[in-house]
Amino acid sequence: MKRLIVRPTECTHCRNCELACAFYHSGVPTPVGPHVIEVRRVRTVPVPLTCLQCDDAACVHACPVDAIRRNEKTWALEVTDRCIGCHACEQACPFGAMYFREETHRALKCDLCQGRPTCAAFCPTDALRWAES
Amino acid sequence: MQPANEKTFAMTINGRRLTANDGESVLTVAKRAGIDIPTLCHHPAIEDFGSCRLCLVEVTKPEWKGWQGLMTACLYPAAKDLIVETQSERVRHVRRNVLDLLLARCPESQVIQQLASDYGVTRSSFTPRADADLCILCGLCVRVCESAVTAAIATLNRGRRREVGPPFGDVPPDCVGCTACAHVCPTGHIIFTEDKGVRTIWNKKFELLRCQKCHEPLLTVEQRDHLLKTRDLDVSYYELCPGCKRQRTAETFADVVLKTHPHFVPKQMGGSSGIPTVPFVQHKEVRP
Repeated sequence: MKRLIVRPTECTHCRNCELACAFYHSGVPTPVGPHVIEVRRVRTVPVPLTCLQCDDAACVHACPVDAIRRNEKTWALEVTDRCIGCHACEQACPFGAMYFREETHRALKCDLCQGRPTCAAFCPTDALRWAES
Repeated sequence: MQPANEKTFAMTINGRRLTANDGESVLTVAKRAGIDIPTLCHHPAIEDFGSCRLCLVEVTKPEWKGWQGLMTACLYPAAKDLIVETQSERVRHVRRNVLDLLLARCPESQVIQQLASDYGVTRSSFTPRADADLCILCGLCVRVCESAVTAAIATLNRGRRREVGPPFGDVPPDCVGCTACAHVCPTGHIIFTEDKGVRTIWNKKFELLRCQKCHEPLLTVEQRDHLLKTRDLDVSYYELCPGCKRQRTAETFADVVLKTHPHFVPKQMGGSSGIPTVPFVQHKEVRP
């Protein structure tokens, strides 16, 4: 099973992943676009933060309409078109990995780009890798 | 007669042979096949209602001897050997009429204007409604609130005075201020405002809970209490804002890195590190 492997020890905090992610989700190359990956530097360690695709996810528990579903191929949790925009998942995620997009009126989360993570493809140091684990 | 255990069957939409499952609507089958049927009051999470009348399609069966019925695709169940036309002249004609009426009801709505112009209606042939708002009375907000939240709003009055709102046009006692009604509204009629940690919707003011660390406004107290009652997450999930939760996660991971790499020095670009100075690298091909 392929996973998105994150290694803070390799990260240079260049934030290419954020740009690539925003481009993937909005279709326009904008640094302020909606990105679901974020790199934070804590005590000199740059940490790329994105959805952990939890097995027993809080977002799934919080959703009143069962809109967040597992993609069996990529094992990503995806926001489906069932989303009604109630923000419950965004507030429930304990890792802050759930976002909301006002333009689409829907929650936005990492869906591993349908099995081809754009962030990993643009990471210059392989701090983000899409590989067998 | 179709055997009772038959769960999937074949039907035709616009001349294409498609597989459908028992219990699906014509709209679901068409959507899955990428066939476009315009809708306004349809939402995948909510039971269909057929109020906007835009998804009307022509349906027939070989044994119906040429009779063709106009049905709402969202409500009409898929059936074996059903033949559906979504863009016939008759369908386009009734959709034009529907849009003509909708345009008279909501002349200011950009969504309706766009749909109408797609069907060649630029001006309504009816007299536009005086002091029109953006509500097409599709009831999607009412159905979303009823099935997913607290049924705080409903349609009021009858006929020309019919409108969507809280009971008796008063401040809604059951509303939790989740704004789902505003987000599903197809024409953007329902609006809410947020100012200095106070959210206003349906004339009800909600004091927003604040993040315990940075005091950013989060969700309404009423929505949190509703989620605590209906979902199985405890109150600690709703205490911090997403940003502070990310910071907490980053700190946890950074601690692990510093523990496992006691002499940790962050990598840098350029120099002898072997990492290009310009971070924009050639896109690497990643195949699933």
